[in-house]
This record gives sequence, C-alpha cells and structure tokens, in this order.
Amino acid sequence: MRPYLAGFNRGLRGAVVAPGDLTVRMTFLVIVVLVMAALWSAAVEANGGSIEGYTRDSLLWYVMAAQVAVIAVRPRTVEEVGEEIGSGTVAVQMLLPVSVAGLRMSIEAGEAAARLAAALVVGGAATWFLAGAPPSGAGMAMAVPACALGAAANIASQHAFGGIAFWLLDAKSTWFVYQKLVFIPGGMLIPLELLPGGLEAVARVLPFATMAYVPGRLASGHAEPALLAWQAAWLVALVGVALAVYAAGQRRLEVLGG
Amino acid sequence: MNAVLTTMRTALADGWANRRSFAFQVLLMVVNDVTWVLFWALFFNRVGTVRGWNPDDVYVLFSVLLVAAGIAIGLLANSRRIGQLAADGELDETLVLPIEPLPHILTKRIDAANVGDLLFGPVLFVLAGNPTPERVAVFVLGSLAGTVALVGFLVFCGALTLFVGGRGEQGDLGFNAILIFASYPLDLFGGATKVLLFTAVPAAFVTGLPAQLVRDFDAQRAALLVSVAAGFALLGWVTFSLGLRRYSSGSLWSR
Repeated sequence: MRPYLAGFNRGLRGAVVAPGDLTVRMTFLVIVVLVMAALWSAAVEANGGSIEGYTRDSLLWYVMAAQVAVIAVRPRTVEEVGEEIGSGTVAVQMLLPVSVAGLRMSIEAGEAAARLAAALVVGGAATWFLAGAPPSGAGMAMAVPACALGAAANIASQHAFGGIAFWLLDAKSTWFVYQKLVFIPGGMLIPLELLPGGLEAVARVLPFATMAYVPGRLASGHAEPALLAWQAAWLVALVGVALAVYAAGQRRLEVLGG
Repeated sequence: MNAVLTTMRTALADGWANRRSFAFQVLLMVVNDVTWVLFWALFFNRVGTVRGWNPDDVYVLFSVLLVAAGIAIGLLANSRRIGQLAADGELDETLVLPIEPLPHILTKRIDAANVGDLLFGPVLFVLAGNPTPERVAVFVLGSLAGTVALVGFLVFCGALTLFVGGRGEQGDLGFNAILIFASYPLDLFGGATKVLLFTAVPAAFVTGLPAQLVRDFDAQRAALLVSVAAGFALLGWVTFSLGLRRYSSGSLWSR
C-alpha cells in the first residue's frame, strides 16, 4: 500500500506547487458557474419558478457540485494514457514492482484531492454569492464526499477507457467522446430528471452519472444516502475494470515483446 | 502574402499526411459538436423559448462559433499557443526568417480536430439555420468578422505572456473564457457580465452579434462588428509586436 500512498502524496504536492494551473482551473470554474447560473436562471424564469422540482437556487448548487467533481480530475487522462501506451512509455513503467494502473490512479487521485478542495471553496463561495446558502445542510454534507467519490470514479473510468490503447494503439483522441459521456448521460450539463424518459433510463444504468449527477443531486437539496452507495459500488467496479484492462494489456505487450 | 499561403499549404499538407488520423480526429470533433447540439435540443425541449431565443437561433449562434473556432484554432492553430510558444522559447525559428513573424506563426500549424468544427458549422447552418441568400451572406460575413475578433483576442492574451511571464496561462484562460461565453446566447447575461462580453472578453463580437445580425440585420450593428473585429486584430498584432522586444531566445527549433 505504501507505494500508492506515496503516489497519492506526490500527486497532491504536485498540484499544490503548480499554482498557475490551479488558478486557471479555479477561474474557469467561476466562469462556468456564472454562465450556467445565467442559463438556468433564464430557464427557470421561463418555466414559472421551477423545473422538475429544481428551483433556480437548487439548480445553481447542482451545477456547482457537478462541475467541482469533474473539474477536479484531469480532463485528458484518456489521451495521456493512450499516448503512454502508444509511444511505449508504459513498458518502462511496467519495470516497477507495483501495479502501473494502481500507481497512476493514486497519483491522479492526489492531484484531484488538491483541486477538489480548492474547487469546493471557490465554487461554493461563488454559488453562495449567487444563490444563497445550500438548500439542505444534510444534502451538502453528503455532496462533499460524493464529489470525492465522483472524481475517483472518473479517474478509474478514464484509465479503463484509455487502456483500450493497448489494442488500438491510437486511442488518445477518444477523450472527446469520453468527455461528452460525462456531459450528458453523466448529468454535468443537465440533471437526469430533465432528460427525456428513455435517455434518462439509459443514463441511470451507466457509470457516468456517479461522476457528476450524484454530487449535483445531493447539493441541490436532495439528501438521498442511497446515491452514495450507488457511487461506491460503481467506484469498486470501475477500479476493478481499470486494473483488469491494464493487466490484460500488459500481458499482451509482454507476449508481443513491446 | 505568398509566404503566408505557402506556409499554410505546408501546414495543411503536414496535417493531411496521415489521412486516417486526420479523418478520425475530424470525425471525433463532429461527434463532439453533435453532442452540444443534442444538449441544446434537450434543453429547449424541456424549457421552451428562453429570453427570445429558440433552438434555431441557438443553432445559428453555434454554427458561427464552429466556423470561427474552426478557423481560429483549426487552421490557425497557434493562435491559442502564442503564450506557450513564447514561454518555451519556440519563436526562434520564425524570427530568423525575412518575413512578418505573426502571420507565419499563426499559419504554420493546423489542428485537424478543430478543422472538424469548420466542416460541421456550415452543415449545421444549412440544416437548422433556415438559409436564404441574405442569411447565408450575413452568416459568412458575420462568422469571418467573429473569427478576426477571436484570433485578435487570442493573440493578445498569448502575447501577455511576453510581458508578465508564466507558461502561457493567460492564453489558456482567455481561450477558455471566450469560448464558453461565446457558446451561450447573449441575452442570458445582464449587468456587469454583459459589459464584460462587449469589452474584456469580447465573446459578444465572436458569436452573439453575428447571430443577431443573421436573425435581424442592421447596418449600424454590422459596421460596429467589423470595426471591433479590426480593433481586436490590431490590438493582438501590436501587443505581440511590442512583446517580441522582450522575448528571450530558447535556442529551440520546432513546428
């Protein structure tokens, strides 16, 4: 376990000592919150004060938590993983006596933890300024761990997705597609309740909703503990898939002598 | 002019050299764009008209954005990397050439993925923008003016790195800010944010005003758009030229 904790620490420190990147991300978060606040305020105003039980203020808290959980994670991990595999860099990483995917995920989790803490403070302050206090203290208390679980699920999922490069060799551009799965079925841009019935049902069986929708739903005042259990279950499954994809991919590289 | 055209032709040939990869990236960007169209369709399906904007108006706005972004960060891919190039000392290769540096830097690299935007934008306009000869003409001219404003702004933000240092964060921030603001209807914003969009982050001139002109043409606003676009182009050029005096060589040669 020690190598992974060391990896986590390394990621955490790396994010903290790069204030430029952190500042850009936090400024971007504030801009996104401002834009989405304008969009959803106009939408709610056009619909008599609420949409599917979401008021303007609850939607703003939804947007904040969903964005925070996503912005904490490196957006292009799929691309980076693909590049490492395609270029053969992964072969050097395989010389270490630890799981390549495990170490990689722990480093990214450390980075995400630093960004998540900053984003919760900055995003929370911006949203409080625009919408007042969170609609539910209990919901908000659950939204904080939900953001962490969502970010962790996103990291694991990106590694599983990027691992396709062991077979395709050029999977790096697929990060565009991955990102969009988080945007709509994941509920980052629009709560699942606002999707048409069929699409909502599909989104609820996919893992992406655990990365943005769950934190958003909890922060919007819906204190539903079952959502945390849903996230935890998907996190375990996604970590398992990522490790399995890497293990199978590494065996393939070894067989081919890559 | 010949040098710029030759540089651009070389960049296109370079990008096109790996045709499979080029086509794959273009395809992925089109998928990306379709997802945004899907988002707007889902949004308007649920909330109806918002502050006078209906889905067709937003598709026109999005088409303008795709064309502007397709040219600015697809064909002129370095427009968003000026700060990073300066920070990494990668301007050397251009500075030794007997040509104006900025046009050469802007045209020497294309980004295949964003060329997908340039291809999909007009298609979306034709499919959802109720094209008539007049609307097509305004769409083309408005998109070009928006492109000039966008490139000028990106160059300006990138050139700030030459004055204040850093790794090009100013350019990244400007790029992200203008693209996100330009993706949404102008009338959503009010007060200070709207002032911001007409001044410091000129997203209104990249998409909002061109889209309004397509819907309801007005010669005065069109003249304003053209003047502001020219103003941002000049601002970018002047800031970059002045910033070059502070540039330190990195002894690097790159694309």
